[in-house]
This record gives sequence, C-alpha cells and structure tokens, in this order.
Amino acid sequence: MKTLKQFADEINKCVLCGTCRSVCPTFGVVQREPASARGKVALCGAYLNKEIELSDVFIKQMNECVQCMACKTACPNDVNVPDIILAARAEVAKERGLPFAKSFIFKNILDSERFMPAAMKFASKLQGLLFKGVPEESGLHRRFPLPLIDEMRLVPQLAERFFLEARSQKPEDIGNIPLPTPSTPLPPPAGDRRSQKSEVRSQNNNSRPRIGFFAGCLINYMLPNIGEACLKVLERAGASVIVPLDQHCCGMPVLGNGDIETAKSLALKNLEAFEKYELDYITTACATCGDGLKRRFKELLGDEYPERVNAFSSKVRDITELLVNELQISTPNSQLPTPNSIVTYHDPCHLRRGQGIADEPRELIEMSGAKLKEMSHPCRCCGLGGSFNITNYDFSMEINRSKAEDIKNTGADIVATACPGCMIQIKDGLHRLGADTKVVHVVELLLHSPSP
Amino acid sequence: MLYKDIIKELTHIVGKENITTSKEDLICYSYDATNQKFLPDAVVFPKNADEISLILKLANKEGFHVVPRGAGSGFSGGSLPVEGGVVVSLERMNKIMKIDADNLIAIVEPGVVTGELQWAVEDLGLFYPPDPSSLKFCTIGGNVAECAGGPRAVKYGVTKDYVLGLEVVLPTGEIVNTGTQTLKGVVGYDLTKLMVGSEGTLGIVTKIILKLLPLPEATKTILAVFSDMRDAAATVSRIISSRIIPSTLEFMDKNSISCVDDYANMGLPADVEALLLIEVDGDRELIEKQAEGIKKICLDNMAREVRVAGDKREVKQLWQIRRAISPSLAKLKPNKINEDIVVPRSKIPDAIIGVREIAKKYNLTNANFGHAGDGNIHVNIMIDKHVPEGFNQGSDKAEFLRAEKAVKEIFELVLGLGGTISGEHGIGISKMPYIGMELSPTAIDVMKKIKQVLDPKGVLNPGKIFPTL
Repeated sequence: MKTLKQFADEINKCVLCGTCRSVCPTFGVVQREPASARGKVALCGAYLNKEIELSDVFIKQMNECVQCMACKTACPNDVNVPDIILAARAEVAKERGLPFAKSFIFKNILDSERFMPAAMKFASKLQGLLFKGVPEESGLHRRFPLPLIDEMRLVPQLAERFFLEARSQKPEDIGNIPLPTPSTPLPPPAGDRRSQKSEVRSQNNNSRPRIGFFAGCLINYMLPNIGEACLKVLERAGASVIVPLDQHCCGMPVLGNGDIETAKSLALKNLEAFEKYELDYITTACATCGDGLKRRFKELLGDEYPERVNAFSSKVRDITELLVNELQISTPNSQLPTPNSIVTYHDPCHLRRGQGIADEPRELIEMSGAKLKEMSHPCRCCGLGGSFNITNYDFSMEINRSKAEDIKNTGADIVATACPGCMIQIKDGLHRLGADTKVVHVVELLLHSPSP
Repeated sequence: MLYKDIIKELTHIVGKENITTSKEDLICYSYDATNQKFLPDAVVFPKNADEISLILKLANKEGFHVVPRGAGSGFSGGSLPVEGGVVVSLERMNKIMKIDADNLIAIVEPGVVTGELQWAVEDLGLFYPPDPSSLKFCTIGGNVAECAGGPRAVKYGVTKDYVLGLEVVLPTGEIVNTGTQTLKGVVGYDLTKLMVGSEGTLGIVTKIILKLLPLPEATKTILAVFSDMRDAAATVSRIISSRIIPSTLEFMDKNSISCVDDYANMGLPADVEALLLIEVDGDRELIEKQAEGIKKICLDNMAREVRVAGDKREVKQLWQIRRAISPSLAKLKPNKINEDIVVPRSKIPDAIIGVREIAKKYNLTNANFGHAGDGNIHVNIMIDKHVPEGFNQGSDKAEFLRAEKAVKEIFELVLGLGGTISGEHGIGISKMPYIGMELSPTAIDVMKKIKQVLDPKGVLNPGKIFPTL
C-alpha cells in the first residue's frame, strides 16, 4: 500500500476546481467545503506540507468519507481521492494508533478463525434479549432504550445459523468442499443442466466450471440466504461450487480504518484458503468484498506475493459478472413471487465505480422477467460506507434519505442491488420513510423457480 | 478591537456553529479553481442579509477585510482572501425561494447551485439558459459576481441578461434592492448591471431575481470535421452571417482533440485539424430545417464529414469529446495557462491563426477550443511548472517566462482585432496586470471612484481587479 507521502503527486494533481462538490455525498449533507473531496485533499496536502498536524479535526474529516468513489469518477484530472483518504487514515492509525476497541476487535476477533464466529454466535444469541423482530422485515427494533440506537433504527439481524456454519454441517449438499486434489475427475453434470451450459463446459475440457464462493461477513453472519441463493443459481448454471470453510473477512472494513497490517493478514489467509483448490473463478455476491479481492488484495500483497495474488485476483468475478459473462446464463428458470413485478436497481459504489459493473445486474433483472424501472440517481451512494454507518449513524442515514426517496418515487415493488451492505442500509432507510418496497439481492430474483 | 474580540462579535452575529477559526477549516476556504491559496483569519456562514449587514458594519468599524465566497470554483481568484480577513461563505444561503411560472421569474439565494436551479425550472417546462461548464457545482451568486457565460451564450446571452433585480448588502452594511421583478424598468441608474460582474467588490448579493424562458421543445446536435482549421473558423463566421443562431457553436483544434481517448473510438478520421460541435434548439420542425442549413454550410466550407446525432446516446457521445478536452489537456503538459479571450465572430480565423503563430514563435504547446459561436475562445498554453528535484531549473523557468510573454502578445492581438481579454472568467487577480491594456486610464479611474463611493474604507474583497501600483 502506498503511504500518504507517496500520494504527494496525486494530491498535487488536484487543481482545486471543485467538480467533486457536485457528487460528494458527505458534502451533499454538510454543505461546507471541508466535507467535500476537494477539502479533504487540500487537508492532506497541508499535512504533508507540515501546515497542520494529525489533529482531531483532520481525523474527523478523513473519517467522514463513505469511500463511494464518486469524486474519483467525476474528477477531470482522475485524482484518486478515496485512496488518498485511505492512506491518510492509515497514517493516523500508524502515528496515533487505533482506538483501543477498534484495535482489539480487528486484531483479536476479526483476524481470528476461532473467535470471530464465536463472538458473532454470542451476539446472535444476545440480540433476542435486546431487540425485537419487525414483522415482514428482516431486521430488529430495540426492545428498550439502548445507547446509540434510536427507536426507528432497523438493526440488521444476525442469522441463527451462519452461512459457513451451515455449509460445514451439510457435506452432502452442493457448495461443500469437494475435491481438494485437482487430479480427481469431476462428476458429470446432472441431467438437464448439460444442455444449458454445454459451451462453457467445453471450454473447460468438458468439465464443469469450478467456482470458489467467497461469502463475506454480511452474507455469512446476517444474510446467509443470499449465499444459499448464489449456490443454487450457480449450480443451476452448471457450475461446481466450492466454499472453503477457512475463509475470512475480506479485510476491507479494517483497511477502511487504516489498519493495513490486519488487512494484509486477512488477505493472505483468504489467499491460502482458496489456493488449495483448482478454481476457474472465485466469486462473491458482495460488491465491497469483490472490489477488495480484485483490487485491494493486489495493493496489499503485490509486493510480497505478486504471482500468488495476481493468480487469485484475476479469477475474481462479481456474481452478476460471472453469471452473465462467464457462465452466460440466458434463462434463469425463475419466476418472481409476483409476476411482472417492477424492480428498480441500486448500483453499489464498489460494483459500479469499483469494478465497472453496471450492465450485468440489469441484464439479470430483465432475465428474471421483472420490469426494470430506473430510479433518478441509481449510482448515488446509499450512505453505508462500511463502518461509517456504525461510527456516524445519523450522518449515514442522512445520506441515505435521498436514496430512499428516489427508490420510493419509482413506485417499484422491489429494489434490487448487488451488495448485502447496501441492502441492510437501504432497508433501514426505506423503513424510516415508511415505504414497503422489498429489498433483494439481484441473485434472489433468479431463484424463485417452481420446484421441479 | 483585538482579533479575539472581533471573533467574539462575529460569533454573536452568526452563532457559534457558524463561525470557524480552526486552521483546518481556514485551509479549506483559502483556495479556488485558480489553484492559489491565501489563508483567511476566520470563516463565517451567515443565513441572511441582516447578518451580512452586521458583519460588514463591524468590518467598517474595526477595519478588517471581508471576502464573499460561493463554491470557490472561479478561474480568476474573485473569492480568494488575498489580504486575509473574514471569508463570508454563502453555502448556507442556498434556497430557491420562488419559481413564478406565470411571470417567468425565479427568486433565489446566492448559494443555489446553478445546475440545480436549471433542473428545478426545467421540471416546470421553463429554462434558465446560462450554462458555465461548472454549472453542476458553481453557485448563482458567483455567476452574478463574475457574470458567467457558457456555450449557450451564442444564442441566449450571459448571466447579466437574466438578472432583473438584486438584494445587495453594500460594503458599508446597508441593504439595498436594485432593479425590478418586471422585464422593464428604468427608474434611476441601473445598479443591477453595476453589481453583476463586479466580482464581489461592490457588495454581497443576498437575493437574485432571474428571468426565465420557456424550455425549447427540442435540440439537434451536429459534429463537423475539418482538414483545415481555417475552414472550420470560416464556417463559424458563415453560420452566424447566414442568420442561423445555434444554441451552441463549439470549436476544437487538433491539439485539443488529440488528447481525447474517446475520439479514436468513434470512427472519426484521425488526421483532422478541427471540429465544430453545433446545436440548434427550438420548435421541432424549425430545427430540422436549421440543421439541414448548417450541414450545407459546413459542406460548402470543405467539411470532410458532418454527423447529425440520431438519438440521446449519440448526442452524449458527441458532447463527450468536447467535455473531455479540458481535463485531458494535461496529457500535453501538466499545467495550463487558460485565457478566455473574445473577438468579433468574423475575426475568429485571424485570432486562431495569430495565436498559433505566437505559440510557435515562443516555442510553446498551444491548444484552442471553446465557444466560437460568440467569439469566445479558450486559448491554452501548456507548460510544465513541475521541476523534478536536481533538475536544471533554468529551462522550465524559461518556458514559463516565454509563456508570460506570449500571453501578453495574444492579448495585444485580441485587442487589435476589436476583442476583449476576458469573456467570462473576470479579472480578479489573474488578469489584474493586463487590465490597463484594454481599459483607458479614465475608465479605470471612473471604476475606482465608484468603488471608493461604495466602499470608502476598502473593506470588501480588497486586492482585486485594479493593480495597486
């Protein structure tokens, strides 16, 4: 990873024109220059020039960025503001240290194969005591006043059974961990799937494409149904799916807080978890994880393990990208719960701007038989910004408000997106607005097929 | 009064949430799009004219400087606190107060983003034409202060043509209303026009009454490709003299286009010398006829190819070339000296040929593009200010000095052709040294006297427009 100092040229590329003010979501809420991408770049420049210290004001400004990358896309000079800000956060972590709680969680829980599932399991049991379920919503309201959590807030529910846990207990099911040795011949594809995916298989020496599935924390701990949906859709597309059970958090939330070391450690563990299998592709249904696996892993590990990380990252595809471009599915064999539903689509920042994927999820929506109705600003950030939502909840929801209103104004029955983080955030925002639009992952639209 | 006491007084006026003196915040209000920095002593965020009035009265009493600021996107330094003092940010005063569809006017606060006003009135079938390329983030207040233009000026004029009236806080703190809410009005001197384009030196605008038009029914976009730059320039003059007024008539020369990646992907010939991007708007049937007429003029003037966009996607593609130029120019050289000269439209060929000769004479890289339809050409001299460590600084310094000489010569050329040295950016600090080339000593003297009458203590936005020497 480049240090803030190494970003000096990038900072100087900013000509201070102000274009980013038109797209920056934090500026949109605060309406004052220091909240804009331009202001933050100016502050980083001033720090490097030793005009200011890593003061509390500086740290606050660096933390108040949702990493949506809208500024980078809009910038006439291609200034990589999001990465400058990440480097500034890393500088803060290095010089001032992370707050104890964050540091403890990152290093001792998130980066641990034993404690992370255990901690989440504990939390999963605890949540029933603190929160009550909301009918027809997958979310929770507090049972009694709790610090930091207001009455309206829809807290995402931890799953009773985590995705990876369920996988480990169903070895006979698809998505198990078969065939660790590449030499083992693959089983022939089952019955009707053969005709559907013959081309792809022929490209793979008559074998089924082998896909490694990266769950990511939100799917694993909160929305395992999306993970299950992915496995089913992939299976239907004729793929052989492998879910390594020793996979970890992708590390992006940690990196977002400037902890490069833990992010590196997590990246390496994930590399090791997937390297054990001979895979054609590695896929994920989380836009942020995907952006991390494709791009950030190379930055984190590129110096030490260039070949390994390139081999890994070059296989990574977002689930929508994999289904449309690689597996080339054309009939999802699906039926929506309500036929002819109107679906609007929210572009996750880390999918559209991070990975340049915009058409594939829309193709899948149309393939599902739903009618796609675009909202006015589909690429505007939902405001989650990783742990920004936890540290700056009200701010985060203020950014979300225009998103929720935009969705509501389409009159769509369903809002689909391709990131579990966006889903949780949008659900909370729509709930606040009193809108009953259903929030789904694009892949879920492909799932509701009539049973054979 | 001590600095501390002034801050206390200011805090009393705007509230403690709306004043800042932290170094970090001051840095964020020290710059604009000129890429120059001058640190203020404090930044305040007033919410109305009354607060600004109190601030200016205090400034006159205590003798500190006040500098108004919108989005900080200006190209001439109008919002820079060059002599320190208090920056008055108008970011909080960002409400569209009224859109009156019956009388075709809008009343807005200065902090409203120009593009947002345009979208709001377009939703009602109305039209606010001035379209500076920064319209998505610049503010109406800044547009009024600098009298901003844009591509549509060729048909629709510039900001001053749409300002009917203003509420202004004078430098001495009095609040005055100028102009009318009506299209006509000749009572007394035209203080509205005096304020528009005064670059924040004669008052702080707090309310703006704007004229609106009905939204044109349709637009048609045309791209013409030329092998000889002179043919393209001649085509501009021919279109205007044939009595067709396009809503946009943009010129791009070879150096400008060469930087645009998308250009190559559009199947356009590689060895072109110039492009014209032309748009007509209005009644659907009428613009079909006009587009045909323009196409014929282009072909008569040796255009190699003329493309008429068939759908929205093609329109976007054609505009993409034009919009990508300014940012892509950095591929030629990292820094640009950007001058927004204007010449009478019939003199465009002379201006562009002359500029090229000057660039050649001083061995400089030059790219020209812009709003040819109104004679406003963005002349860019590309230089490399960055001197790597250990590098012999002599040569780069020499390039900068050559560029300065070239700029002066370009201005002489432009004035000789009956033009002006700034069409839409303003003088501010960027063109201060050259103002005497265009204005007579008497004209400058009159302007200084006006400033003296309105701002006897010189508190408002000092160090702008007029050289002190």
